[in-house]
Amino acid sequence: MVPRCLSLIVVSLPAFLAAQERTTVGGYGEIHYTNRSGPNSPGQVNLRRFVLYLAHTFDDRLAFRSELEVEDAKLESGEPGGEVALEQAFLDYRLSERITLRSGLVLPPVGIINETHEPPTFNGVDRPAFDRDVIPTTWREIGVGVVGTVPAIAGLGYRLYLVNGLKAEGFSAEQGIREGRQEGKEASFANPSLTGRLEWARPGLKVGGAFWYGGTANQDSVLGNGTFAAPITLVAADARYEVGGFMLRGVVASISVSDAQAIDARYGGTVGSRIAGGYVETAYNLLRSLAPASSQRLNAFVRHERYDTQASVPIGIAKNDSLARRITTIGLSYKPTYNTVFKGDYQLLRNKARVGEAEVLSLGLGYQF
Amino acid sequence: MTAPRLPVAALALQLAAFPSRSATAQEAPPAKLAASIRRLFGPGARVDTLRVDSAAVLRLSRGDSLLGFAEVGNVIGKDQPITFLVAVDPADRLKDVDILVYREPYGGEVAYESWRRQFRGKTAADPIAVGRDIRSISGATISVQAVTAGVRRILADLTAWHQRGAIR
Repeated sequence: MVPRCLSLIVVSLPAFLAAQERTTVGGYGEIHYTNRSGPNSPGQVNLRRFVLYLAHTFDDRLAFRSELEVEDAKLESGEPGGEVALEQAFLDYRLSERITLRSGLVLPPVGIINETHEPPTFNGVDRPAFDRDVIPTTWREIGVGVVGTVPAIAGLGYRLYLVNGLKAEGFSAEQGIREGRQEGKEASFANPSLTGRLEWARPGLKVGGAFWYGGTANQDSVLGNGTFAAPITLVAADARYEVGGFMLRGVVASISVSDAQAIDARYGGTVGSRIAGGYVETAYNLLRSLAPASSQRLNAFVRHERYDTQASVPIGIAKNDSLARRITTIGLSYKPTYNTVFKGDYQLLRNKARVGEAEVLSLGLGYQF
Repeated sequence: MTAPRLPVAALALQLAAFPSRSATAQEAPPAKLAASIRRLFGPGARVDTLRVDSAAVLRLSRGDSLLGFAEVGNVIGKDQPITFLVAVDPADRLKDVDILVYREPYGGEVAYESWRRQFRGKTAADPIAVGRDIRSISGATISVQAVTAGVRRILADLTAWHQRGAIR
């Protein structure tokens, strides 16, 4: 006779989906060594990022997540560098299996790195320069939105947020919209902005398209008082593909700054009216050939970035050709586990004006848990 | 003595009577579990619960024929339990994996059919390892790793228990 455990008589029924509160701590970080070519440029070591992840689950529907970041190891008044900042802090309310409402300090879902920035997830010691100068990672703003999957099409997910806008006064020629971010610090809500993403995934493949649209005038009457005064429009597309030991990824983005002329006249910057570019990266896991049974990875990669933060300039602004940048990075990522990494790479920093070109050797380590 | 035939609705109550395997385990919603069993083994399958060690194994049968076994497992993703079901056929081949409850803000792609499909037909002799016979999904690495490890462990348990007669 088959031994059966009979339990039809349930004396006390444990509550299904009972609220089980729990708090979780995690984190990620990266330490870099960089040495730029040329005289008077000794190597530098830096505790680039140290991030604490703190999450709490209140019940099966409601959860809080946050990331608190220390950049460059410490912060001292009167000294440059160093930052303590919240990278994310939001509440998720699970409305149904397919729809979650999210509110708080969120990440615009643009490109690859902004949402997935843990060091073991990308090749190269530092993030792509494109993800600093074009897509200003780690980009975070306060707002509300919905996150979910589309029922009719398998593998299709979306995120859509209404967040505070950027401030045009921070825009610059070198770093585009980067210093226009408000990052949750007493942010003006004069120009609520929309950002969103559609992405389709299957094993080994993920492709996505994203946008940001919103005004940047912040009620500066010179630029206009409307909600969408001095708007910027960002569109981006990204793809990640893995086959065999190969990994390919690429991102392109284009940002239109409609009123660049007025912004440049008002704030004296020389922000481009269009900021555009992208990168492609190919990597191969050498251990796939050398040690097929190993779960470790040794990725050899090459990445080529090409972007111009003054792809177009408004009338009256002289285009600076040194902002048309071409960066080639070759390197290795050794991953003893999927969530730890040791990295090394060599970068060729080039630009159209051939001004200030350099080579950079970098070493680094990263982790997440 | 044989176990009484259970309507699917009673399944949940029956399962609830068992302590979960891990201290942090979460239960599967009864309707989702019942729907998953129905999808995998067809309507009207008889469900008995066997207890092995501290685990609750579902035995699926119709008439005199064994349809297979299933077990609910939990693994921690980034910080939340992911509740999933592993079903095997009488020859210890994996029939399918179902994600019953996903609670993380990112990584929900593990519930996609295109990803779960990779486990079908696997046996305990297969590596069931990300990057070897299971492909990952970018941006969902932690969940992919966690669920893959969980499936590998449950398939190994079910196979071992079946082969030594602890479940039959």
